[in-house]
Amino acid sequence: MKRLLLTTAIATTAALALTACGTTEPAADDAKKSAEPITLTDSTGEKVELDGPAKKVVGTEWNVVEHLITLGVDPVGVADVKGYKTWDTAVPLKNEPKDIGTRGEPSVETVASLKPDLIVATTDLPPAAVKQLRKVAPVLTLKAADAADPIGRMNADLDAIAKATGTTQKSEELKKQFQAKLDEGKKKLADAGLAGTKYAFADGYVMSNQVSIRPYTSGSLIGAVNEKLGLKNAWTVKGDPAYGLGATDVEGLTKLGDVQFAYVGNDGDASSTPFTGVLAKDKVWTSLPFVKKGNVHRLPDGIWMFGGPQSMSKYVDSVVTALTK
Amino acid sequence: MAVTATTPATRPPTATSRTGAAPVTAALVLLVAGLALVDITQGTAAVGAPEVWKAFTGQADPADASVVIASRLPRMTAGLLVGAVLGMAGAALQAVSRNVLASPDTLAVNAGSYFALGLTAAFGLSLPLLASSAFAFAGGLAAAAVVLVLSGLGAGTVRLVLAGSALTLGLTAVTEGLLLLFPRQTEGLYQWNQGSISQSGFDGVLQMAPIAVVGLVGLLLLARRVDALALGDDAARGVGVPVRATRITAVVLAALLSTAAVTLAGPVGYVGLCAPALVRPLARTFRGFTKSRGFLPAAGLTGAALVLGSDVLLRALVPSDVVVSVPTGVVTSLVGAVFLIVMATRVRDTTGAAATEQLRIRSRARFLTVTAVLVAVAIGVTVAGVLLGDSKLLLGDIVNWVQGQAGRTVTFVLDTRVPRVLAALFAGAALALAGTVVQAVTRNPLAEPSILGISGGAALSAVLLVTTVPMAGSWGMAGAAFAGAVVSSVLVFGLAARGGFQQNRLVLVGFGVATAAAALISLLIILTDPFNATKALTWLSGSTYGRSMPDVVPLVAVLAVGAAVAFARRTELDLVSLDEDTPRLLGLGLGRARLGFLALAVLLTATAVAAAGTIGFVGLVAPHAARALVGRQHARVVPVAVLLGAVLVCAADLVGRTVIAPAQLGAGLMTAVIGTPYFLYLLVRSRG
Repeated sequence: MKRLLLTTAIATTAALALTACGTTEPAADDAKKSAEPITLTDSTGEKVELDGPAKKVVGTEWNVVEHLITLGVDPVGVADVKGYKTWDTAVPLKNEPKDIGTRGEPSVETVASLKPDLIVATTDLPPAAVKQLRKVAPVLTLKAADAADPIGRMNADLDAIAKATGTTQKSEELKKQFQAKLDEGKKKLADAGLAGTKYAFADGYVMSNQVSIRPYTSGSLIGAVNEKLGLKNAWTVKGDPAYGLGATDVEGLTKLGDVQFAYVGNDGDASSTPFTGVLAKDKVWTSLPFVKKGNVHRLPDGIWMFGGPQSMSKYVDSVVTALTK
Repeated sequence: MAVTATTPATRPPTATSRTGAAPVTAALVLLVAGLALVDITQGTAAVGAPEVWKAFTGQADPADASVVIASRLPRMTAGLLVGAVLGMAGAALQAVSRNVLASPDTLAVNAGSYFALGLTAAFGLSLPLLASSAFAFAGGLAAAAVVLVLSGLGAGTVRLVLAGSALTLGLTAVTEGLLLLFPRQTEGLYQWNQGSISQSGFDGVLQMAPIAVVGLVGLLLLARRVDALALGDDAARGVGVPVRATRITAVVLAALLSTAAVTLAGPVGYVGLCAPALVRPLARTFRGFTKSRGFLPAAGLTGAALVLGSDVLLRALVPSDVVVSVPTGVVTSLVGAVFLIVMATRVRDTTGAAATEQLRIRSRARFLTVTAVLVAVAIGVTVAGVLLGDSKLLLGDIVNWVQGQAGRTVTFVLDTRVPRVLAALFAGAALALAGTVVQAVTRNPLAEPSILGISGGAALSAVLLVTTVPMAGSWGMAGAAFAGAVVSSVLVFGLAARGGFQQNRLVLVGFGVATAAAALISLLIILTDPFNATKALTWLSGSTYGRSMPDVVPLVAVLAVGAAVAFARRTELDLVSLDEDTPRLLGLGLGRARLGFLALAVLLTATAVAAAGTIGFVGLVAPHAARALVGRQHARVVPVAVLLGAVLVCAADLVGRTVIAPAQLGAGLMTAVIGTPYFLYLLVRSRG
């Protein structure tokens, strides 16, 4: 034990001696920029002050990353890049951003080393981490979701990011396009005689012969889009106050009755596709009226259910195609 | 050690009734049948008693009938099977180990299976049920073997529970690390680990039933030999029973049964512990249950009643939309924890001081050398902790930073990194000090704050604060953690106070409280933040993430007070840790002294938990290693243990922050990875 301790001490000292006394950066630098300063208030009531439109931006959640890309600002840092590439192909990354760690615990140090002008975070991040990030750069903390007004929330987040990055024109454009997409989708569905169709969207996970299903209630972003399309949300389950997501099991689907059922899975994640896997043999599932009639639709992978206008536009297209097929 | 070496299967003198067993069995069957019927009428679909009746008589509409056939009946059967199998596994394990606390949970079978499944999920293997249960079986059996071999088969002591719980802690830490590293691949695994009997069709039940039957038949065939073991190893050998082979076969069969349950429903905790314990009083009255052939089926029936009863109760109390996310295992764990506590307060504790360490007297020179080396290592680890991270720094950067001349990036990096390093250092030191004090007071070299439930209470209270007041500050967190630690330790020490904090009772009650706290934390996470388990998991795995200087302040203050008190009272610590009588002879108020020291340990643990989450093993490993290095005088043990604790957590934090950067692992997880093997090594060494 003693020898071990001694060896460790010597090794540590040696390692330190070898790396000693250099520095990794020149002494303090103060580069001044000259642009119109921007001030805005974020969802936590905090004032965010910028010297000018932010160019080097870091995003800690996938929805804000999607907002950034659609606004034409390629983020320099993204949490869980691999996950984003798997789950959000509707709005692919155009550059090679630095991975800043997990969405729940992004590395403050890596963010600092990117020297960003702006960090866009959500209220899902621990307040302690936000507090530290504020020392690195201005942090725009947005509410990731609000079941009281999901689309309003999405637009407000988009606007806030647009204001901070000087791309307000683009965000107005995006919102108009999205509204047009909604109107177009609604018209197509109505033309096909599908207005007021009872419709249920979900995703599901399977683990050890147990299937859990997540209903997207009208408080979810997708649920709100469905209603704009003139579809009737068939879920009676109560969703959580932020994301509007509920929880149920296969039995719980019997309460849906005769509906159109749609889901998003992911080929890159085997546990996320129970509807074609385990449930294919499940008697409760196969005797559901909408399953019998073949009214189960798998929408394309890569639509991020909590994303921005682009993901939602792709969703609208997919639903319209699936239902009018 | 009478607490665990009771041999219920020997003919108790009060076994009066020869014929009573049949009616009692019939009553048990009726109870289970009744619960099963009620269970079928509960669920998320609008299928109640009338629809179920119609389905059975063939008059229901096809949709309702399919719900009954493909969802309710499989669930009910799974509940029956899981309960029966766990009850019998527990009964068999308790019989062969002659230990009333042996069960799939306390032998780490569940944790081993959980780990094996976590590993397969993390590597993205989506296996058919039988293959994944083979993995789970291998994991569970390996864990049980490790615990039984290391704690000494038939030695029948609290060490079995300690070894099992230590391995459970270690394996769970690694599995939870996998959950953090692979959040998508392992989605659902966390909830699965709470145990739920819901099923999709009969497939799972049908695949597991043969395994259960093999285990059951095997155990019944083995029953006579198992009974012989109750007479003692020598007597059993005398009547020609192969002791070793019988034990191994029984443990393998019990592991097989538990894995069948685990793969079917996840770990439904503590059924294997409670069911045999509930049957045991019956065995005193009815002779039919004294033999394993009667006892095993009765334990199986009781287990089935426990699982179905928990499920029925849960579904009756919680709205059906919520209940799908509240697993049955949480309820059985809570019931089991209460049960463990009640059992612990009722068993006779006749244990004297068991010195499991033979320590040589160490010289003063050795103490000074060890301390000097440790100080050097501590400085080295601290400097390395400050220099290494996502971005590597050099010493000159620190010099610049200290002088306030560093550039933007270095300043930010050090501003966030230094508090983390300090939090790790001081949390490690505080936990080591708390562990030293607890081990001295309980005279149990295997006790530590987290096993005694103090950390669990602190964590529960802190998670409660985090989920209700997300913006809570550092003193608020420390306060909440302290309140929780006080409540849990008042409970533990209060219940164990009868007879003056005797060691076995204390540890068992503590273990029960720790279990209950863990179940309640799971329940809290599931109910308040179902889609953000990572947040709470992160915090619970002992992380310094997001720590800032103000968070470290309460810790430093408490540590300073604790170190001062420990140093001033070093002689009393020596006396208290010696034995029962010496302090009394010397006129030391034993109860008062113990209470004072324990209060100090509670305070230290709570502030450490608030600053860095639940970090296990440090309080166990550091004092023990310190005693091995410098002897058992507290004037020497305390500084060495504190230094060791600081080094251990700081190094763990450093590894956790750097190996998979920019993602990170909690320090508690790393200490568990280091601590578990060390703990097991301790058990092997102290076996003699």
